[in-house]
Amino acid sequence: MLSDRGRPKNGNESTRKKKSNPLKPSPQPHHNDYTENYIHTTVPPQRYIKNSENQVEGYPNLQKLFRLKERHVAKNATTPFGCKIDIDAMVPTLNHWISDERMVFDVVMIGCLTENQFIYQILTSLPIHKLITKPGFLLIWGSAQKINELTKLLQSEAWSKKFRKSEELVFIPVDKSSPFYPSLDNDDQTLFEKMQWHCWMCITGTVRRATDGHLIHCNVDTDLALETNDQQHSAVPAHLYKIAENFSTATRRLHIIPARTGTEMPVRVRPGWVIMSPDVMLNNFECARYLAEISKIGTHLPAKNDIESLRPKSPTQKRLT
Amino acid sequence: MTQYTSNVLNLELIRFLVEQDTAILTPPVMGKVADIELWYAKERGELESRTVDVEEAFTRASARRSRFWGDLREIAACSPGCISFTSQDVPCPRDAVINYVDVQTLRIMYESVSPGHAPGGHQQQSKAEQPKMTLLVDRLLEALNSTAAQTPNQQTLARLEQVLAEKPASYVLGRERAQKLTHHSSFIPICGHRNHSQVLSSLCTISNNKIAALDGNKLQNADQGCPGIAKCAQSKIHYIPISKPQTDSSLGDCSYLDTCHKMNSCRYVHYLQYVPESLVNNAAHRNQEKNQQSKLNQAICLYTRGFRCAGATAPQLPAQWIQCDVRKFDFTVLGKFSVVVADPAWNIRMNLPYGTCNDSELSNLPLDILQNEGIIFLWVTGRAIEVGKESLQKWGYEVCNEISWIKTNQLGRTIVTGRTGHWLNHSKEHLLAGIKGSPQWLNKQSDVDLIVSASRETSRKPDELYGMIERLVGPHARKLEIFGRDHNTRPGWFTIGNQINGENICEIDVKFKYRNSLRRRKSQRPIPHPTTV
Repeated sequence: MLSDRGRPKNGNESTRKKKSNPLKPSPQPHHNDYTENYIHTTVPPQRYIKNSENQVEGYPNLQKLFRLKERHVAKNATTPFGCKIDIDAMVPTLNHWISDERMVFDVVMIGCLTENQFIYQILTSLPIHKLITKPGFLLIWGSAQKINELTKLLQSEAWSKKFRKSEELVFIPVDKSSPFYPSLDNDDQTLFEKMQWHCWMCITGTVRRATDGHLIHCNVDTDLALETNDQQHSAVPAHLYKIAENFSTATRRLHIIPARTGTEMPVRVRPGWVIMSPDVMLNNFECARYLAEISKIGTHLPAKNDIESLRPKSPTQKRLT
Repeated sequence: MTQYTSNVLNLELIRFLVEQDTAILTPPVMGKVADIELWYAKERGELESRTVDVEEAFTRASARRSRFWGDLREIAACSPGCISFTSQDVPCPRDAVINYVDVQTLRIMYESVSPGHAPGGHQQQSKAEQPKMTLLVDRLLEALNSTAAQTPNQQTLARLEQVLAEKPASYVLGRERAQKLTHHSSFIPICGHRNHSQVLSSLCTISNNKIAALDGNKLQNADQGCPGIAKCAQSKIHYIPISKPQTDSSLGDCSYLDTCHKMNSCRYVHYLQYVPESLVNNAAHRNQEKNQQSKLNQAICLYTRGFRCAGATAPQLPAQWIQCDVRKFDFTVLGKFSVVVADPAWNIRMNLPYGTCNDSELSNLPLDILQNEGIIFLWVTGRAIEVGKESLQKWGYEVCNEISWIKTNQLGRTIVTGRTGHWLNHSKEHLLAGIKGSPQWLNKQSDVDLIVSASRETSRKPDELYGMIERLVGPHARKLEIFGRDHNTRPGWFTIGNQINGENICEIDVKFKYRNSLRRRKSQRPIPHPTTV
């Protein structure tokens, strides 16, 4: 097979011989068509993404930044809190938190990767601007169809005045056998099989990415989240929380899940978050205890030099990359 | 006689229940406690001793029965629901019938009383799993998720879901047809092995930013240290890191890789693709046969729903295009289309190297006249997602899909660096799909709503979309691309845009109407429009 290997050849002489060399490099780069491959093999294109297990593969500085941030967030996190209540009781409870307990959150995430969520009802019956500080961040997760339906409400004048849309995030399951495959979303009207969840991320109040480094760290994460194989079995992939944690330096984080997720997909608690859901595994939330913990930790993470030097910044700072 | 005290659970009985769980509930036992008791006693060898004294035998048996009943009740009371009886209150064990045994709970019960000795033939396995299952939560979850814990309701739900997931024949046939007719281009997997690229980089001769050769002799030697590398090098694509004098590998990869403008001074790592020519040729050769087969398939295609019946013999229209200012173009000359694709240069307050188009200019385009029923694709970005959705509604469409194009780099990884977005980096672009009317001629759901493809020149979109559209509407449907460029022209498509060169119109009626519209415009305005020259 490798008959003429190692034999010294040069120039024109070798061209004839080289034809039989199975290792001769191809002069043209090869490109795969993953869409066409899906048709022939039913392996979906996202399976071929090379950095799905570690999105910052190949970037040692970014890997270091992710590690540092993870440790920093964990060090300044409240006890994991679960607030297990019925969907009907959510709005009254939140109203009670707002008006009687004077509680506010800097990051509020609503919804998870499941169909049949009562997001619209929550958004319309809750004075959500009173629940979120200014500046604050609101992330709404749902099926692409759901987010599309909410667009009208979120684009309405009353809403868009308070909450400006900043990004649209997307979560992609590994394949059709994934627990996050949105199978119910594929009705007859659908032209293409749906393989994604969307998130409407918005900002209330004013933050500037160049000067508000104590509040937000921009361009650390991307607007795309891929399901990883080693994910702990959970209704909410950890990545969804990580995006919010990496972006905002706030410590008061609330996740409202207005849907029944059942026992097959447990809603786990997470350090630094209050998780409100009818199916959350723990029911340990007490306002007084939470407020006490926050006053001890502070409302925002303290700045850390090594994180500041590694994180991407606006070009005004004239930092060489 | 008092082998079991009242406050200690009968572990042996638990083990028995776990091991015989199915046999207990199915015929002939059917959960009858009296029968289970006899069986259990027989298992334990308590029935062996034969006595002539009937009275003694009777008292012994009734003592045994009441003991068994007591133990069973104790187990059932220990964790309510682990054993359930047909009727709530059973005073006499003779009539009691068990209708459900929760094996997982019993196993956990057994485990917690006597750890490390779980019954049910899982002794070895559970010991091995012990370190992994440290959290009580995980153990409880495992119990809930096992099939043994499935209640009749859950089983019904599973069956229902299965039925709902069943696809209709039109879907199955459509998929099959798409598979049979779609062109095969070579597919060569990319090696995911960490070491291979490093090892191969020491065996390559690189000249002129190209891999000139790979030393086969050395490769065989390397195969000793890294088994399988020789075979892998001949069957997969490898990306070889180039080490140049200025390269500092501790910095990691260049954000731009093969598109870097400072290739000769950049200190980050760059790569070259290594794929043997023989592998590419072999793959191409194999595909040639497959593609000939798809041609044949086309000729004898029996499932023609949504397609032209004479699909095999009718030629596809050649590529057509018109250079024009889309904002002033008379769309009535074009006629109707099955599919419209538009990639507007949205004005998002950035200095882009091409003329941009503001929101109202876009939504004022008369795109509502291009289709009676059909589908439209609109590339959107950032704030334009909402403007795009509004425009689609204004033109009479309903947004039915949002396709994500996941942009990859040379190495097949998503793009995560380079401050590509304002708040977060952008690794994807959005393509809205809208539908008007209820076209029956669509071949739906052959593809997924994702495209994974390398990013190319600024704003150039992936060609994979053309294949997806052809599967959806068939090769002979009329297709229009607005804001197209020279590289977008292709057979079956009509392309218009201001960055395209000249014009080429084959359809006589369009040609005629277009000439007329130009003449009308000339007569209205004496100075000819620059784009119509």
